[in-house]
Amino acid sequence: MSRLRILPALKALIAIKPKQKLTAQYLLSLFIAIVLAFLVGAGIMLLCGYDPIECYAALFRGALGKPRAFGNTLAKTATLCLTGLAMSVAAKAGIFNVGGEGQLYFGGLAAAVVGARLAGAPAWVIVVCALLAAVFAGGLYAWVPGILKVKLKVNEVVTTILLNSAAIYFCSYLTNGPLKTAERGISSGTDSIAVSFSPIIRLSNLNGSIWIAFAAALIIWYLMTRSTAGFEMKITGANERFAKYGGIRADRLMIAGMVISGMLCGLVGMIEVFGIHKRFITNLSAGYYFDGMLVAMIMRYQPFGVIVMSFFFAILTIGGSAMELSAGISGEVILIVQAVIIFFMAAEGGIRQSLRVWSAKRRVKRTHAKEAGV
Amino acid sequence: MTENAPIVRFEHVSVRFPSALANDDVSLAIRRGEAFALVGENGAGKTTLMNVLYGLVRPALGTVIIKGEKISQRHDPMRAIAMGVGMVHQHFKLVPSFTVAQNIALGSEPVKNLVFYDQKRLNREVLALSKRFGLPVNPGDVVDDLSVGLQQRVEILKALHRGADILVLDEPTAVLSPAETDELFEVLRSIVREQSMTVILITHKLHEVMQFSDRVGVMKQGRLVGIVNTSETDEKQLAAMMVGRELLFRDLRAGEPSDREVLTISGLRAMDDRGLEAVKGIDLKLHAGEIVGVCGVEGNGQTELTECIMGIRPQTGGTVTLNGRNISRLKPREIRGMGVSFIPSDRMRTGLSAEATVMENMLVGKQRQTEFRRFGVQFRKRRATSYAKALSEQFDVRSGGVDLPMKSLSGGNMQKAIIAREFSFDTPVLIINQPTRGVDIGAIEFIHEKILQKRAAGCAILLVSADLDELFRLSDRLVTLYEGRLTGSFVNGEITRQEISYYMTGGRQEVRA
Repeated sequence: MSRLRILPALKALIAIKPKQKLTAQYLLSLFIAIVLAFLVGAGIMLLCGYDPIECYAALFRGALGKPRAFGNTLAKTATLCLTGLAMSVAAKAGIFNVGGEGQLYFGGLAAAVVGARLAGAPAWVIVVCALLAAVFAGGLYAWVPGILKVKLKVNEVVTTILLNSAAIYFCSYLTNGPLKTAERGISSGTDSIAVSFSPIIRLSNLNGSIWIAFAAALIIWYLMTRSTAGFEMKITGANERFAKYGGIRADRLMIAGMVISGMLCGLVGMIEVFGIHKRFITNLSAGYYFDGMLVAMIMRYQPFGVIVMSFFFAILTIGGSAMELSAGISGEVILIVQAVIIFFMAAEGGIRQSLRVWSAKRRVKRTHAKEAGV
Repeated sequence: MTENAPIVRFEHVSVRFPSALANDDVSLAIRRGEAFALVGENGAGKTTLMNVLYGLVRPALGTVIIKGEKISQRHDPMRAIAMGVGMVHQHFKLVPSFTVAQNIALGSEPVKNLVFYDQKRLNREVLALSKRFGLPVNPGDVVDDLSVGLQQRVEILKALHRGADILVLDEPTAVLSPAETDELFEVLRSIVREQSMTVILITHKLHEVMQFSDRVGVMKQGRLVGIVNTSETDEKQLAAMMVGRELLFRDLRAGEPSDREVLTISGLRAMDDRGLEAVKGIDLKLHAGEIVGVCGVEGNGQTELTECIMGIRPQTGGTVTLNGRNISRLKPREIRGMGVSFIPSDRMRTGLSAEATVMENMLVGKQRQTEFRRFGVQFRKRRATSYAKALSEQFDVRSGGVDLPMKSLSGGNMQKAIIAREFSFDTPVLIINQPTRGVDIGAIEFIHEKILQKRAAGCAILLVSADLDELFRLSDRLVTLYEGRLTGSFVNGEITRQEISYYMTGGRQEVRA
């Protein structure tokens, strides 16, 4: 009978205000948060002896200034956007997928294996097969915690976190063991794939996979905001008991949300392999899914908001490393500034609260003044 | 200060909440040693006014004078208690794991030898207090084990222990059985008479006003619309004052139920959320065009019974048959598909989603109908919105717009939205649990008419309510539920309220209804 008391707390922590909508007030407070964050960041730069205007200029130039930089920013946007949507689609249905990293690894591995084994087949066959394999692997790996949650009431936050490690270490074993490539100079990785996406902008990370990402984002957006299934997912996520009472197959939808989430993560893995590394490597993702989760939570799992915020975060990331080089500012300071920005966005709830109190006070004062005047 | 001077005087009190004016220029004098009732619909500002007195809410304008002394700018519950004000809230503020005596003395425990907590003296004091006011309790009992009626008694004693001579009770009878209610009022009357206490009762039940008070103040939309002596008024007049128009309360029942059996429950058993058996073998038949009213004090298995029929709660025994088909093992979706709709009692947990919009709440269950789908996948939002608008109009659901979250609605309008959704399925069976709890008197009338329209249309209706007036008004048959068993079955009109409360508290053996 005794349940772990820590689980709901952990879940609450992960789900910052999941059920609220994007409103004008929210966007205003988000804007204030960003401005405040940039100001605090500027303060830190001043303290460390850098010129904040120069640094910020370097940041935006570094992210958007040159075609190559812009290409990198767009590629980063795609990754953040897909992982962010992966988090959102599950969270909207009331199930939290913290295991995107694991699904991403398995998706990438499946794509790499198919890509290498099908050598000789037409390019489009290889890409389609790899895509299907990646999506299938990611979805399957997400289905496990989904079914455990629905049938056995095992908390999905715990299982997905644990499954992350399992996947990453298992992939690491495979790339250092049974699937290790015979090529020289590759410390741990699979055989290189037969075909890959070519860059759209030379020397940048932007490649053909952006179209796949774009299509996937569009489909998820449609699913979440326009479809009957999305409506039912939303009701389930808002109140599972109510959904079941109302005749919605809540269990099925929660599993579906989880599986779709896993499929998206698998797709990200495939894009990493086919777009950048040309093979599966041990450190395929540097916590990409967790970045996406952050974006999703800040934008309250609203698909359109996630897409926009992904672009902003991509600027910060890509611009940040460019700033390090061109403005001579140390990488640590940029990390601090980034953390401050994220922190302020997360604190947006408090900002909105004070906005509301402030406007309520003004309203009361105004009506009192009016009455006194009459 | 003379004996006749008012003990509490509200002077032009206005309280403003961000969304509304909760109290609008209220002036009211309450005399020492009177039983005063404050009535009004939900949201009329009764509780807010008393919270001003108790220091939980600060008035924007105006002031309150307690025993000739103006309340300070920093009036708070501590100061209010010091001035002799005690308040028993709708939701009890007791520590469940503490004993009765510990709860009563919380914050002012007697001390022995400067350090030690003097349990024995405390128990003695509490016992003396309970004798003096005629409120028997056992000081050593743990509060968690007590019935709600007893818990309420502890709350009252807590206020009295702190030396209150102005006692405010906020809707005290909502959780009590009729017998407990009578007892409470008797005790309160005797406290007023013999100890010259001043008791202020907040309520929206008019018969309680008649039973209890000397004078009554009626509130409507934040304003005090009248003060009358109870002996010079009647329920009808008070209701008209509360709502601002005459209520009809005509006898709405017409036509006879058919003898076609629609829903048959036999030997039904189920557990509650704690895993204790809450439904212990219930047999009940429901005919077309009939309303069967389930009487009982809350927590005797009503919720579990209704949830079982709907498939939300697993059955542990027995069967439920709908038109000859066993539906015991089916899911809510399948049961709905076979023609059962359900209005649950816990609105916020089961009946709706507070975060979803009014439209989404009203449309759940219909989203897969071809009317609201395009190409078999797309949700036709615009059509759904206009449908929700039309349904809102038909059922008088007042919202700021159907695209606002459900939680922005008042309790009564939320309930009407649920009723609108469930009634619009046009199912032959309706399971209704607490249709009008927390709903305004004007809306109650409306809901009752809707229920009777369903009956006239040949629906078989199971109606569960804690409000006996409601059950007597609507039901064809009445059954009493006590501790998970049916203890009586009667034709409405052949039994009195007094008799039925006897069965509601376990008066007779099990029956088949």
